[in-house]
Amino acid sequence: MEMNRPRYSLAIMIISLTVFSFLIENMANDYILAIVCFTGINIVLAVSLNLTNGFTGLFSLGHPAFMAVGGYITALLTFPAEKKPLFLPDFPQWLDSFHLPFFPALLVGGCGAAFVAFLVGISVLRLKGHYLAVATMGFIIIIQVLLNNADTITRGPLGLNGLEDFTNTYWVSGWVIVTVYICWKIKFSSLGRSMLAVREDEMAANALGVNLFSTRSFALIVGAFFAGIAGGLWGHLITALTPGSFSLLMSFNIIVMVVVGGTGSITGSVLAAIIFTLTIECFRPLEENFGIYGVGEIVMALFLVLVLIFKPSGIFGTEEPDFVMGKHKP
Amino acid sequence: MDSGYIAQQLVNGLILGSMYALVAIGFSMIYGIVRLINFAHGDIVMIGAFATLAFIETVGLPFPLVALCVFLTCCGVGIVIERVSFRPMRGAPQVTGFIASLGISIMLQNIGILTLSAQPRNFSFPGYMQTILHLGSVSFRIIDLVIFLTAIVLMVTLVLLVKKTKLGIAMRATAENIDVARLMGININHTIMATFAIGSGLAGIAGLMWGGKFGQIDPLMGYVPGLKSFVAAVIGGVGSIPGAILGGFILGLAEVLFVGLLPPIYSSYRDAFVFGTLIVILIILPNGLLGKDLEDRA
Amino acid sequence: MKKYFMFIALVLLSMTLATPSFSAETIKIGALYSVTGYMSSIDTPSLRGAQLAVKIINENGGLLNGRKLELISVDAKTDQKAAALGAKKLLSQGVIAGIGHSDPSFVLPSAPLFQKKGIPFVTSGATLPTLPMMIGDCLFMVPFGDDDQSFAIADYSYNTLGVRNVAVWTDNSMDFTKALSKFYKQRALELGMNIVLEDFFMMGDKDFSAQIARLKNTSPKPDAIFISSIPNEAGLTTKQIRESGMTLPIVSGDGFDTELIVTVPGKELANDVYFSTHTYRADSRPEVTAFVENYTKEYGVAPENAFAPLGYDAVALIADAITRANSAKPKALKESLAKTMGFKAVTGEISYTRASRVPVKGVSIISVKNGNYTVEEIWMPKQ
Repeated sequence: MEMNRPRYSLAIMIISLTVFSFLIENMANDYILAIVCFTGINIVLAVSLNLTNGFTGLFSLGHPAFMAVGGYITALLTFPAEKKPLFLPDFPQWLDSFHLPFFPALLVGGCGAAFVAFLVGISVLRLKGHYLAVATMGFIIIIQVLLNNADTITRGPLGLNGLEDFTNTYWVSGWVIVTVYICWKIKFSSLGRSMLAVREDEMAANALGVNLFSTRSFALIVGAFFAGIAGGLWGHLITALTPGSFSLLMSFNIIVMVVVGGTGSITGSVLAAIIFTLTIECFRPLEENFGIYGVGEIVMALFLVLVLIFKPSGIFGTEEPDFVMGKHKP
Repeated sequence: MDSGYIAQQLVNGLILGSMYALVAIGFSMIYGIVRLINFAHGDIVMIGAFATLAFIETVGLPFPLVALCVFLTCCGVGIVIERVSFRPMRGAPQVTGFIASLGISIMLQNIGILTLSAQPRNFSFPGYMQTILHLGSVSFRIIDLVIFLTAIVLMVTLVLLVKKTKLGIAMRATAENIDVARLMGININHTIMATFAIGSGLAGIAGLMWGGKFGQIDPLMGYVPGLKSFVAAVIGGVGSIPGAILGGFILGLAEVLFVGLLPPIYSSYRDAFVFGTLIVILIILPNGLLGKDLEDRA
Repeated sequence: MKKYFMFIALVLLSMTLATPSFSAETIKIGALYSVTGYMSSIDTPSLRGAQLAVKIINENGGLLNGRKLELISVDAKTDQKAAALGAKKLLSQGVIAGIGHSDPSFVLPSAPLFQKKGIPFVTSGATLPTLPMMIGDCLFMVPFGDDDQSFAIADYSYNTLGVRNVAVWTDNSMDFTKALSKFYKQRALELGMNIVLEDFFMMGDKDFSAQIARLKNTSPKPDAIFISSIPNEAGLTTKQIRESGMTLPIVSGDGFDTELIVTVPGKELANDVYFSTHTYRADSRPEVTAFVENYTKEYGVAPENAFAPLGYDAVALIADAITRANSAKPKALKESLAKTMGFKAVTGEISYTRASRVPVKGVSIISVKNGNYTVEEIWMPKQ
């Protein structure tokens, strides 16, 4: 019986998310719905970044850049043709004919992000530790500059707007389940074990026949795919996209979730994403009543530093906690 | 494009480069000793700038004393940050400190907005600093010269400090191997604290100079110099003090020449160019131009 | 572990409960400004202006026989996500109108949500003239459009300053600055000016030496330079151009409407600068003097920039529409706002008579000579 505990946990998660989505779509107001959707998107982001950063020990800050790639591709593919003359007057004609429904557009966006990750990976994955962090930080800035200057397609700094509001809790829950499931499968496969081996001791892993470069590339590409999906969901939730949104600050926010939850722990990332998204919103009344704007960010940052001091591996470390796993330890 | 134009652009590049170098020295020094990419370094530049404003306007100190007070204030800030957050993390993976410094940077910026307001403030230096000097077809101001010289003098002083003094020897030993250094009877805590104090104090001086040169400061001003000086430090080889100066000059020159010699429309690609260069340098020259092969980075 | 969760839950609960409850009588207006992040230096004065307007209206007995105004302010954090979430939060709290934002990038994610619910949104500072068209009939603008302010200063450069050759600098990182340059160049070419140099920079740039060297080297020599920037770069560019020894006139739009263009370069260097802006600075209309006096009394500083009176006007405009409609229902308010004619705002008279629904407002041309601001003329757009 105990052997199947993770499977039960997954089933429970799927059922409860479905019921939850149904209830909340019908009962809550738009604000609550939007918070729930952002929480879900943050879960997708945190779990997928955990795949890259937590499992393999790559320290990539580039998640927002992949989100931007996925977000813009999805948005341009779903943009209603009749709105194009008003909203995108300079849009190249030959691109006009590409139009897709939301789901395939999301997949194309995700694949686009993954492809960019592949190209980035070839060049920067030789770097390690915070040198990789710095290179990917540079990558965020480069993507921002390019989006800012590609006026005809992206409308530059103004960004795109008037996207259809496709994203709802059903879409988000669906992608949360897919992301968690795939990352879970990867973590407990032989591939996942080689990833963890690369993180712990790459020389030993290499000696045992793990191909360092392809393992790392795989982690970066899969992470980027989900970041691209999250970008598409994000854009169609807000209905607008600007290059400025995909900044270092956003990267920081996602990393906080991964680090606090535990680098390598999927459950940790999920919980941290939920706690952080909700906490920031809970600080709003406080900020508004006392006019002390920015306190939420200060407390978040303080909390991060405290976690790093007292529990550097995060709340759950690399483990999945007992209430998900049962006594079964792979 | 005549030679006068190019000469002027070269001088502009050197001046901008010395600004970057000034911030980069402290940054590189901290990295060299404790292997920490301190993202909050730029925000200490901001604190330095506001401290200068406070000492000039409210206390009304004469200029050299102001510089000293700013240095000491930022030393204090550096010591507090080290003691409270970085010391307890010592021994954790390198990335931990980097994330923590990002957190501290966000804290400092938001506290700055909360307490100082986001409005940019003007910042005026004594008038004689603004006098324009002409050298052939090239012109620059006294403050530019002061910044250039300060960067060079600070570099020489620091190199001497690290090479000749007892503290410097302790620093180098700590950088080499922290455990062996401790066995040799070096007080690691004091050494690292001194490193942070000096590095942060230098950031404060850089803040004073930034304010003086550009005449305008705000709580978010530290972000760009922090980022750029970091790039400068990487180009020169993180950890190497002469490397930081060299990297600063190269970055400043490259930026100005990129804007100045290419058609104007490329000016808005300036940052993409800077970070593109950074990535290329990291890949082909992981130790920078003057960095020692302290560890494998690639 | 359990104890921690209990503790966190308690803290969160107490924070949500800390929201004060107001009597049902109040008329709720939502304010969406970025009081943190890089927009905060522009948005915070707007918010303070709006809060001042609410305070003054309530002190004078409120609206509709004594109902008080309540301004619910949400931080948009210079972030599109926070702007969209903030809009939804305000809408869930039953506001009858929203105000806010000084940049179209943040209006675009939030205003459509108001539009969807049929609740009017008044932007106090976004000047993109196509905004009402993009968003719909619920969007109202307090300021003039970028086209008007650019045309105004272009006309002034050509007619009064006699500029024939002009250099144009653009901050390429913001839509506002790009639009401003676009309209300036359009008018300049119509008038027959030559654009002898176009150069670019990015918000946050501090050093303009490379661009200045190129400006000096341009031939034919420009008679003036048009700089499209937000306040943060206005003082910096003026200072550095003047320090390089160049004395050519500097012209710009409302991004230059800030004390920084005098305080940063200093009085001697703040010379021969001309900008088009909201009719407010150095103006002597009674609305303006009263506003400056009240603002200074309330906050201890003079209004930081033109965005302060714009925020004030956004609330005043809504209050006026509520009074005229004699109702605080969104639908009636929207119709009443659309009929606004000759409303005497601090930043000039507002009338929504154009098909584009961009207000027809006077544009001040202000000159700076040795640190003193003077209104040179009031430019009126064609209807």
